[in-house]
Amino acid sequence: MPKIPYSMKGIYDCELIEQSEVSEGVWLARLMGPQIARSVTAGQFVNVQVSKCTDPLLRRPFSVHAAYPDEGAFSLLYVVIGRGTRLFQRICAGEKISVVGPLGTGFDLGDQPHTEHIVVAGGCGAAPLHFLCDALCEKWGCEHITVLAGGRSKEAVLCEDEFRSHGVDIEVATDDASYGYGGFVTGLLSEVIGQRKGNESNIRIYSCGPHAMMREVARICHESKVANCQVSLENNMACGIGVCTGCVQKIKAPHTQQGWEYKRVCKDGPVFNAEDVIWE
Amino acid sequence: MGVDLSVEVGRIRMKNPVTVGSGTFGFGREMADFYDLSQLGAITVKGTSLEPWQGNDYPRTVETPSGMLNAIGLQNDGIDSLINEKMPFLRQYDVPVIVNVVGHSLEEYIEVASRLDKVEGIAGLEINVSCPNVKEGCMVFGTTPQGTAEVVRGVRAATGLTLITKLSPNVTDIVSIAQAAVDAGSDALSLINTLMGTAIDPWARKFRLANVTGGLSGPAVKPVALRMVYEVARSVDVPVIGMGGIMTAGDAIEFIVAGASAIAVGTANFVNPMAAVEIIDGIEEYLTKMGFASVDDIVGTVS
Repeated sequence: MPKIPYSMKGIYDCELIEQSEVSEGVWLARLMGPQIARSVTAGQFVNVQVSKCTDPLLRRPFSVHAAYPDEGAFSLLYVVIGRGTRLFQRICAGEKISVVGPLGTGFDLGDQPHTEHIVVAGGCGAAPLHFLCDALCEKWGCEHITVLAGGRSKEAVLCEDEFRSHGVDIEVATDDASYGYGGFVTGLLSEVIGQRKGNESNIRIYSCGPHAMMREVARICHESKVANCQVSLENNMACGIGVCTGCVQKIKAPHTQQGWEYKRVCKDGPVFNAEDVIWE
Repeated sequence: MGVDLSVEVGRIRMKNPVTVGSGTFGFGREMADFYDLSQLGAITVKGTSLEPWQGNDYPRTVETPSGMLNAIGLQNDGIDSLINEKMPFLRQYDVPVIVNVVGHSLEEYIEVASRLDKVEGIAGLEINVSCPNVKEGCMVFGTTPQGTAEVVRGVRAATGLTLITKLSPNVTDIVSIAQAAVDAGSDALSLINTLMGTAIDPWARKFRLANVTGGLSGPAVKPVALRMVYEVARSVDVPVIGMGGIMTAGDAIEFIVAGASAIAVGTANFVNPMAAVEIIDGIEEYLTKMGFASVDDIVGTVS
């Protein structure tokens, strides 16, 4: 018999135990899936079959928003934005859905105590970062964590209350200045790093949000020379498990002639070191 | 006694008629998280070239009604990586490996084939003739009988492995090309490769693929694939591996009765990573229920 590494990754029929609209257009789905709930790590995702028909054909990837290993459940927080999320939102509690997961490479939480962790969320990018905060709090203690949550307006800032209930420091930024810091969350990040001058080598940054936002986060991190900056990227996925090579991102690769290579967002990512990403 | 699921494609003995579509299964490593790869009749790995190919810019995939377009650009790490990294992993499993071979020139196909000839664990080569011939004005080899025959003849002289020519459906007369491949020494044929298409975002008035065009796959192409498999299988004397939108055992049976000796599960792997093994079980169940003793009993029996 070949030696097959033990993996909790699989296809599971998960019962949907909650499907609720937490704010306009933003939905929280909770699913029973003990294998996933007990093995998923922050930044990983699951691939959900939103329709049993052949149209739409492909699964839809959702990053995990929280895991409840004791109950055997996990949750997904998503914005209804297109056909797939509309179909998902119509599935009712009590129904079973086919879920592939846990998938991808999640966040690296670091191994140095006395580090400050700054989490930068943009819009629905808050979903995986909520799970990350759980993990960071458990590993390092909530007092070492600052969350900067941004959105177009107050309504577009997700998970604010949940972040607060963790007991982490949280500051909010809104593009329309309707709430908190007026301007992009990246402006807030610059200020926050500025307040920690001389201590940058002790800061780790974690980010998820729109591509342009993460590119700016990466630039700020590079200039201020923080210890580490990770970004969770998004791309069109067909398989989600690393076989189709569709969802690629240019990643620095000094050993290659052109200095970069295409890496799979679904397998090598979605979390990458910001320094390694070729931002376009 | 159960039914006999085994089939032969050239000198490749498959324990059941199910392999996978090249490019939908990587080199097996990721799929091994889901099941024991030894269950498959054969594994057809991703297209492999002489040097690493970086592939196309992104977006590379787009979903279409009951299907998807892809323009991956045959990204792969090249033959050295296949031999040194991928084959040792695959040799752990009791399953024949078919290597899909791609090239930008006749010489590249020939060199890959000759280097793979004696690699342990490789049972056959599937020649992807849907690549542009960079030396001849980027004309796709597989769109003419002459171009197809040229590649097959060259590769045939370079290897004793079972040769399977993978036919492009983007041609006027697939039967004449199939015949040319067989005459040039191909031991078997596989079809269909993807159908060339495109998709446009009407609001942005932009193509959805960076490469503009891509290959259509999934249930949407099945009727076309089935017709082509039927026409080719009745015209040639070599085994045919049928593929194109197979999602279920029922789909697989349709291809087999149309004349395919074996079938490949492709895009279905993306939707359901267990699809191939579920289809193997379904074929066995069908044969048992219908009272057939073997897969060979139903090949080409459509009327």
